[in-house]
Amino acid sequence: MSLRRQLTLSLVTILMLFAINVGTHFWGSYARNESMIAYRNSVTAAQLSTEVEQLLEDQRQQTLILATLRETTEDLLEDTELKQAEVAIATINDKIRKLGELSHGVTELNYELLWKSSSHLLKLWLNFYRNYNNPEFNMDINDSLPFLEASQRLKELEERQAFIADQRANIIDRTISLTDRITIIAFFASIFLTATLGYYLVSYTNKSLKRLKKGTERVGSGDLNYRIEDIDDTGELGDLADAFNDMSDKLRNAIYDVRKARDDADEANAAKSIFLANVSHELRTPLNAIIGYSEMLHDELGDKSELNRPQIQQDLDIITNSGRRLLTLIDDILDLSKIETGKMSLHQEKFNPTAIIKEACEVLAPLLRNNNNELQIDELRDLPPLYNDAAKFRQVITNLLSNANKFTKGGIIRVSARQVPERPGWLEFAVRDTGIGMTAEQLSRVFDAFVQADSSISANYGGTGLGLAICRDFCALMGGSISAESAVGAGSTFTVSLPSDPASAHAGA
Amino acid sequence: MTADKAVLLVEDNELNRDMMVRRLNRAGLKVITAGNGQQALDIMHTAQPTIVLMDMNLPILDGWAASRRAKEDERIRHIPIIALTAHATEAYRQYALAAGCDDYATKPVDFPGLLIKIKKLTHT
Repeated sequence: MSLRRQLTLSLVTILMLFAINVGTHFWGSYARNESMIAYRNSVTAAQLSTEVEQLLEDQRQQTLILATLRETTEDLLEDTELKQAEVAIATINDKIRKLGELSHGVTELNYELLWKSSSHLLKLWLNFYRNYNNPEFNMDINDSLPFLEASQRLKELEERQAFIADQRANIIDRTISLTDRITIIAFFASIFLTATLGYYLVSYTNKSLKRLKKGTERVGSGDLNYRIEDIDDTGELGDLADAFNDMSDKLRNAIYDVRKARDDADEANAAKSIFLANVSHELRTPLNAIIGYSEMLHDELGDKSELNRPQIQQDLDIITNSGRRLLTLIDDILDLSKIETGKMSLHQEKFNPTAIIKEACEVLAPLLRNNNNELQIDELRDLPPLYNDAAKFRQVITNLLSNANKFTKGGIIRVSARQVPERPGWLEFAVRDTGIGMTAEQLSRVFDAFVQADSSISANYGGTGLGLAICRDFCALMGGSISAESAVGAGSTFTVSLPSDPASAHAGA
Repeated sequence: MTADKAVLLVEDNELNRDMMVRRLNRAGLKVITAGNGQQALDIMHTAQPTIVLMDMNLPILDGWAASRRAKEDERIRHIPIIALTAHATEAYRQYALAAGCDDYATKPVDFPGLLIKIKKLTHT
């Protein structure tokens, strides 16, 4: 249950208890009032009964005295005396009627009986008074039965009313003690409920907030893998913990991304630094020869001794060749930098690969002869034309041929080409040599810039260490790829796969 | 410098080696050469050169390893070594000194500077 619902429910319960208290108070008040009226009526009726009893008694005495006087004397009852007696009897009748007004429910029956017997008695008395002067009227007024009956009924009513008053008083006492009890119970229940609710709220929020605080501290101190566990409540604090865990996930991912981006940038930076250091190293190597030989020639020309002209010519050739090598190196570096910055563009044209391979072989023929290498060209007749970059294709083939020639002495260099049956529209060119070959380790890094198989190779075999890196990048630019196979002493094979149209190759890929 | 004592030049590039030999000879120094690190260590034992000029990128055993081994070997550790390399960064200078080289010179070689370093290390 959510915290808000729990709080609302508790508040409603407390309000209900409060309402019960107020209701009890009003009900008690009303009940007491009702009983109070009944009690007062009963007390009034009791007083009235006593009065009536007294009057009846007086009237009885009077009738008994008059009855005696009538027998012993001849005095007549005067009119005023009659009137007085009538008024007294009417008063008694009125009082009894008043008693009837105060009677209800439980005393009704007693009153009826009283009314009947008293009416009979009063009628007898009235009759007695009115016929007092009539000598023929004879009535036994001494008969005490009607009076006793009426007295008896009155006593019964009185007792009844006393009983009712007692009962009412009891009810009032009970009502008071009941409302007191209800008020006290509701009061203590409210206090208990409020205290329980307060304790529960404090302990619940405290527990959850402690977990949240711990989580915040842990994540804040860098432990991004920390998650708030055992979220057993489904309320707002549970939601908050879930949201916190979500936030931690996102934060961790974001930080991971940032770290990765930074690592990538660092790596790229490191690669650039290494590249620059390599460029510096490669530029310094031919410059060492150029500056060294120049300074030496300068010194030798200053000597007084005979000039050794052939030696000087040879030294100047070394300087020139080193200068050329420097130029090639600079061109290669610029090419590579263009490729890497994405500025190298592809100039597509339709060309015949066979013709370009043959031209490249002719250009390199003198170098091949220098190393006593035999060139074999296979299966070039049926090649379809390519719609690709002819200049780059020429450079790749030339680089591969001069590379093969560089590492082969008195061997065979074989160029072959074929259409790939399983890949329509693709051609495969291979340059195979019988040279020194490479170890697996050297082979794995052969296409990296400035990595020649051995650091001494550039010294002994020349080359900038950029030729194969450029071949790899050019092949990729032309939509194809290059691969190498080799073993130490068993020569090397470089295979170039090219699509006739790079656009179709990219679309198909 | 006595007649039988010589400078050992360790260099695998033929052009550089020839050039350095000629220039050192012109400067009046006797030069013996080695083409790799292992050969250099052998010659240091047998010929006891006064000083070694060591290229760092060498086949078989590179200049750093050769320098380290020379400095661990009691019989030849007294022979001073000057590192000669086309690696011109400070990091490479530190590598060379850490490998036990006594001094360091970059290529292209400042030849008069190199002669001063040789003289300083051979006390001549």
